[in-house]
Amino acid sequence: MINEITLKGMLPRVFVSESIPFSEVWNADLTFRRGCRYLVEAASGAGKSSMCSFIYGARKDYEGTLCFDGKNVADFSIDKWQHLRRESLAYLPQELSLFPELTAMQNIELKNSLTGCVSKEEIEEWLHELGIDSRRDYPVGKMSVGQQQRVGLIRAICQPFDFILLDEPVSHLDEENNRKAAAMIEGVAARQGAGIISTSVGNPLLLDNALKLRL
Amino acid sequence: MISKLLRKNTSPARVAGFLLSNFIGLAIIVGGLQFYDDASSLFTNDDSFVKSDFLVVNKKVTSASTWDKGSTDFSPSEIEDIRKQPWVRDVGKFSSADYRVMASVDQGGRGMSTLLFFESIPDDFVDVSGSAWNFSEGDGVVPLIISKDYLTLYNFGFASSAGLPQMSESIMSGIPLRLTLTSEDGLRRRELQGRVVGYSNRLNTILVPGTFMEWSNKALGGGTQKEASRLIIDVSSPGDIAINAYLEEHGLEVAGDKSGSSASYLLKVVVGIVLGIGTVITLLSFFILLLSMSLLMEKNRDKLHALLMLGCPVRSVASPYIIIVVTVSLLAYVLAVVCAEIMRHTYQGALEGLGATGGGWWLGPSVGLVLTLLLMGFNIISVRKRVVSAF
Repeated sequence: MINEITLKGMLPRVFVSESIPFSEVWNADLTFRRGCRYLVEAASGAGKSSMCSFIYGARKDYEGTLCFDGKNVADFSIDKWQHLRRESLAYLPQELSLFPELTAMQNIELKNSLTGCVSKEEIEEWLHELGIDSRRDYPVGKMSVGQQQRVGLIRAICQPFDFILLDEPVSHLDEENNRKAAAMIEGVAARQGAGIISTSVGNPLLLDNALKLRL
Repeated sequence: MISKLLRKNTSPARVAGFLLSNFIGLAIIVGGLQFYDDASSLFTNDDSFVKSDFLVVNKKVTSASTWDKGSTDFSPSEIEDIRKQPWVRDVGKFSSADYRVMASVDQGGRGMSTLLFFESIPDDFVDVSGSAWNFSEGDGVVPLIISKDYLTLYNFGFASSAGLPQMSESIMSGIPLRLTLTSEDGLRRRELQGRVVGYSNRLNTILVPGTFMEWSNKALGGGTQKEASRLIIDVSSPGDIAINAYLEEHGLEVAGDKSGSSASYLLKVVVGIVLGIGTVITLLSFFILLLSMSLLMEKNRDKLHALLMLGCPVRSVASPYIIIVVTVSLLAYVLAVVCAEIMRHTYQGALEGLGATGGGWWLGPSVGLVLTLLLMGFNIISVRKRVVSAF
């Protein structure tokens, strides 16, 4: 279980030689706590996706330290990361990383099969809630970006997690779908006492009581 | 679902290419080793009856010795001189029988008989377990060690021209020989049974136990002591150059020395070349599999990355590729062993005809298995590395 994610003097290496504008994340002491909601807002190119990738262990090109409950993640093995990705960290990357040749349902089940933590009925219900139940057996590659984003959201919550990282999760959704998605994620996160970290460049996920951070 | 995703882009042609080349390479290696193992008994000097550090020497027979009876005998002073050489541990004399020997065999109603001769050497030089190489007066059965060449002469020289059946070593050993020993004056006679207990590559004689020779010479001999014309020498180091120099200087020959025989050398060279070719083909097939797996994984790199991003364990992401490697490698190995076994069947008859005793079945297959497992291991490690590199 991860209770706290701490960033100390963290900065993507590409920014090291540049002067960066004021940021509450980079070159700062910041702690994300389990159970809290964070909205990280920034202009394009400020390093939102980099931050998510660093926390998710997908990239290591940063200065400073990143700790989970005081443990430096630089020392984590691949197997440790894979375990965290199944049991503690959920992630929806901006590029979604869905398999275009698989159907919406197959994409979701691929993730769910790793832990089997969500029932099929629940998945069906989520698909219905976000209005894509009619597309469940469509190959994802043939769907619109907005529909793909909703499939990605459902896939991201098909696992136990202490934190969920959402990188511009609703950039292609209208306000109504944004609200539904936010309510769904808040519900699942609250059930597990998990934290939510969501980024945006202007169309934020409509979370209640979220702490806004400037990147 | 993971394997369905990751096996996309698999090229059956490339996998078949690996299977074929790996099969050919392994079949050559397994078959070549098997052949070497089977055929080498034709050339090796291994002799279970006489240790390799024993030399049998005699004087060279020249035109002069034909007329000068006894000139190839060793005088006591000559034997003493040999005994004094630093490389000699012990010297034994060949003693020969002082009577006539007639052996006869009943073969399916057709009787066959021949004159024979006996020789013996001190029992310390014969490496046969005590009970089999022993004679006591009441036995009535004499154990014999004969030269392997005699059996070959019979099988390929005599039997085929006289329309008689060929005989293997074990059949020959099972046939009782009727031995009739007669003294030179024809007055004394003994009837005994002979049984061949072994065949030697290095003793060109018909050997009987020393105890038997003593008894029979006493019973049937004329009482004259013959000088030995052949000696058996126990040497401290068979490879010593001093030995050859001494033998050369005194005009002596070593009998039955086939260790440097060109046929054995040639067999080794030919098998070496064949194994070399097999190894090269096997290594090339290994690289074919390595490259086609790399290519396949490179094409699926995005998927590998995406699966690892979902939290799939490295093991389960690598397993579809490992299953291909293991299945195809083992299949090639099994086919190669079957193929080598078929080859063996076709040549075995011919080899047995030449007198080969045949090798074990395991040398080729076990070397092939070790090679297969080794190359399979390298491929599995490489697959895992590629998966990890997509992390």
